Amino acid sequence: MLSELKKSLRKLLKIFKRKKQIQLGFYGPVNAGKTTLANRISLDWLGKEVGTVSEVPHETRHVQKIENIVVTTNNGELKMNIVDMPGIATQVDYKSFKAFGMSEEEAKARAREATKGVIEAIKWLDNVDAVLVVLDSTQDPYTQVNVTIIGNLEARGIPMIIVANKIDLPEANPDSIANAFPQHVVVPISAATGENIEKLYEAIQEHLT
Amino acid sequence: MEIQLDFVSAETLARKGSAEKISFILDKIKRNIIVVLEEALEPQEEAELIEATMREIDAEEFHGIEFYRIDSRAKGLREKIAEYIAGRRHGITIVGPTRLIEAIKREPDYISMLAKVDIPQEEKKKKEGK
Repeated sequence: MLSELKKSLRKLLKIFKRKKQIQLGFYGPVNAGKTTLANRISLDWLGKEVGTVSEVPHETRHVQKIENIVVTTNNGELKMNIVDMPGIATQVDYKSFKAFGMSEEEAKARAREATKGVIEAIKWLDNVDAVLVVLDSTQDPYTQVNVTIIGNLEARGIPMIIVANKIDLPEANPDSIANAFPQHVVVPISAATGENIEKLYEAIQEHLT
Repeated sequence: MEIQLDFVSAETLARKGSAEKISFILDKIKRNIIVVLEEALEPQEEAELIEATMREIDAEEFHGIEFYRIDSRAKGLREKIAEYIAGRRHGITIVGPTRLIEAIKREPDYISMLAKVDIPQEEKKKKEGK
């Protein structure tokens, strides 16, 4: 009930107050391509990449902020700060990092940082104006982590777009994401190749500002 | 090898605040018990559960949880008000330690949980205080 009221109030406020600059959070499970997307946007508009990308899970273990990005689309100009969050997970086993050639100590240190990163990302839910939920379209979208992220954004009344990432891969199935979350705008893209990225900018301008 | 499942009634859960509920669940999970709650956790409670789990993870003993919410909550406003007054959130939530639950997967007509049993006997005896 309280969350319903909060959501309605947020919608009402949005009518009167359109933000000139939004704080846009990137949320999603581990290895969905959040930092690849942050790098793509940063490269497109600031001319530089900001984060390290790798196949090792939990590569992003701290919140990374990219400030004062000005995006120009057919619908005008959009100013935003991007907040790239560590991936949300319900488990962190240091042994999984050893498979990537890390020593026991390195793997344990990474696991400790990863758990802190998840906590940090959850805390940031109270500080974002809008969110891109980045999902891997080669994976099953019906996971509890995805449902929890989207449920928390809905409960807080935070506007969101679901980004069905990795459509450049042959096994990608962005329709499965659209079918799983029909109540939300879903934009299929490839952050790695830049495919459809213009559509994402337009969707952000249309739905999140 | 045995697997213990604890079923917790909606009445028991209704008597607990969010923080108490989360600590109640995690206490069982850390003793390698799979918990089935007779209610759908709220999204905020799920976030709190993940946060609390991250704080409890340690390299040797506890690597996290798997959970799944099956939600049959009221959709209309009138039903929501009735549910709020009754203090009841329809649905169930399954939570277990990752060392026991391999995966919980949603199929079109049912939810499937794959459990594994690989806890060394010595460790189990130690936990049971034998």
